[in-house]
Amino acid sequence: MKFFRRKQEPESCENMTLSQARPGCLFRVKALQGTCCSRLRKMGFCEKMEVRKLSNGQNMLCTVCGTKLALNRKLADQVLVTPA
Amino acid sequence: MSTGSPQLLVALVGNPNAGKTTLFNALTGENQKVGNYSGVTVTRKSGSFRTPHGKKVELIDLPGCYSLEPQSPDEQVTHDVLCGEQAEQARPDLTICVVDASALERHLHIALEVIELGHPVVLALNMVDLAEARGIHLDPTILSEELGVPVVPIQANKNKGLIELKQALATPFPQPASPKWKTQGSSDDRQQQRSAFISEICNEAARREDDGTLTLTDKLDGFLLNPLSGWITLVAVMLGVFWTIFSLSSYPMDFIEGTFADLGDWIAHTMPEGDFNDLVVEGIVGGLSGTLVFLPQIVLLFLFIALMEASGYMARAAILMDRLMNLVGLSGKSFLPLLSSHACAIPGVMAARTIDSAKERLITILIAPWMSCSARLPVYTLLITMLLPQASSFSQALVMLAIYSTGIITALIAARVLKGRLAEDATPSHFMLELPPYRLPQLGYLVRHIADRAWAFLKRAGGIILALCIILWALETYPKPAEGSAAAEDNSLALEQSYMGQIGHAIEPVFKPLGYDWRTSTAVVMSFAAREVFKSSLQVTYNVSDELEEDQADMLLHEKLAEATWPDGSKIYTPATLLSLLVFFIYALQCLPTTAVVARETNSYKWAIGQLVGMSAFAYVAALVVFQVGSIFFK
Repeated sequence: MKFFRRKQEPESCENMTLSQARPGCLFRVKALQGTCCSRLRKMGFCEKMEVRKLSNGQNMLCTVCGTKLALNRKLADQVLVTPA
Repeated sequence: MSTGSPQLLVALVGNPNAGKTTLFNALTGENQKVGNYSGVTVTRKSGSFRTPHGKKVELIDLPGCYSLEPQSPDEQVTHDVLCGEQAEQARPDLTICVVDASALERHLHIALEVIELGHPVVLALNMVDLAEARGIHLDPTILSEELGVPVVPIQANKNKGLIELKQALATPFPQPASPKWKTQGSSDDRQQQRSAFISEICNEAARREDDGTLTLTDKLDGFLLNPLSGWITLVAVMLGVFWTIFSLSSYPMDFIEGTFADLGDWIAHTMPEGDFNDLVVEGIVGGLSGTLVFLPQIVLLFLFIALMEASGYMARAAILMDRLMNLVGLSGKSFLPLLSSHACAIPGVMAARTIDSAKERLITILIAPWMSCSARLPVYTLLITMLLPQASSFSQALVMLAIYSTGIITALIAARVLKGRLAEDATPSHFMLELPPYRLPQLGYLVRHIADRAWAFLKRAGGIILALCIILWALETYPKPAEGSAAAEDNSLALEQSYMGQIGHAIEPVFKPLGYDWRTSTAVVMSFAAREVFKSSLQVTYNVSDELEEDQADMLLHEKLAEATWPDGSKIYTPATLLSLLVFFIYALQCLPTTAVVARETNSYKWAIGQLVGMSAFAYVAALVVFQVGSIFFK
């Protein structure tokens, strides 16, 4: 397991994952891609939903429609967002 | 649909933390536990109430779940009951979907899935006060029109809107709705349709104004989830919990011991002498006091776990522990089961149900018994005081800490090893946990929850442990030595000739390489049924009278053990033997109820028996190594 992971800069603002997004800002879910999409959708990460990212880390915190969630970086990698 | 039957069957469905259990309690007046660690409701619960029209309703509280496409065993149960596929459970006449009005976009998913099943649904819009406080403008009428089902705004925790909800259950039932969203296509397509529909109606019926201000929960999380202050708090909380358990509980424990000693004395002197007197005083009172004395510690441990769950801190602790657990291939979701196992492995194994990944769940269940449970405490205490008779209580506490750590560390290593051996899950699951807002625990629930646990412990003491005490007593009493024989005069000779003595001598060769004599071997074998009887069994075989005050009995047992010798005159209880016993008790799975629960929870005798045999064999080998190596150093 890597304790320190080099921060990956998003290629462009229009196409970044939730794990690359900046904490404290509001985003809109653009698409989901990966193996855990259905689980994410059921937890509220649906297309067009607003997500506020609260913190970085291996388990990042964010709020989706008023609920606070902690999610693993691997899951956050599957959520593509754009600034709201 | 059984409209002709006099009783309605109604099911409660909703996401974890939607307030389902609170609503269930408010409707039925049934007492049960509420917690806000995701998915506390894991067993089927039912209660009944009457509608304003006098109709009797049986209400089933289904496990909280996010979807009807089952991922965990909990969700499977909910799916099966709603679809009428659950054995011995009729399909409900009507379903109440409980949704959190402040997070409608998330909670409506399951409601839509239930509506798609095509039977009558009533939507209970819970926590409307919270939603309005968060700046959400709710419109139940639009919601009801769009979904095609009755929508009742309620506040379950304040008993508001319950009458309206009960009225909505009146027959004739609301017609099954015809969904306005597309319900064809693949599972993913349908889900996308539902999502699109939900965001559409939420725009109309639940407009949200997110101003991005930090709530108190956010500020607390900033501190409690911080890599530095969060860990310091967690370690402080854990140390505080265990310190309180050991220090505070000594007062009620002394009281219980004293009471039992007095009771034994009183019975011994008031009842006519004979076998029955002997059975009651030595077998029952003496045996039970050895177990019941741990009630305060168990109650305190459960109290702390319940407090952590009800306040919302448990989810934060799970997140912090996730990183540590990842090192051995588990996730933060295993933290609660493993912590609970320190009280007792049984609730720990059952709490593993909330883990999504089947593999992680199995590993957690398999390693849980290596967390030192409260039943091992008396054994540890006895052995530590013998190992370090002169040491201060602080250094004894340090040894206790080392014993607990040994169990935990070996368990984590075992998890790492198992992780590589077991088959991977079909679908990968990553850690995701809902963080409920912090709230003050409700006193009433805490009291009921603790009372439940204490009662379960007392029932166990009254059942299996009482039975074992009586068996132990019978084994050491019969066959009685003939009148006038040498054994009739000498208690220890009589004991050696009893059934217990015969069994002990038969198994002594097995345990002799570990340094145990026949008495200790008997006690070890007896403790496979319940560890608590180890001390009682030693007291019986070393012939410590129960008529003495408990303090004196403890002293006498120490002295007798310290003086015990092998036939060649060398001491039995050398430090090597004591260490070997400690190691044996850390690792051996000496608890039949745990094995039964593991068999039920894993749905396989293979794992349960494998765990029993594996752990006991490991304990034997470890104790053997410790004794043989230790004997070289402690000559």
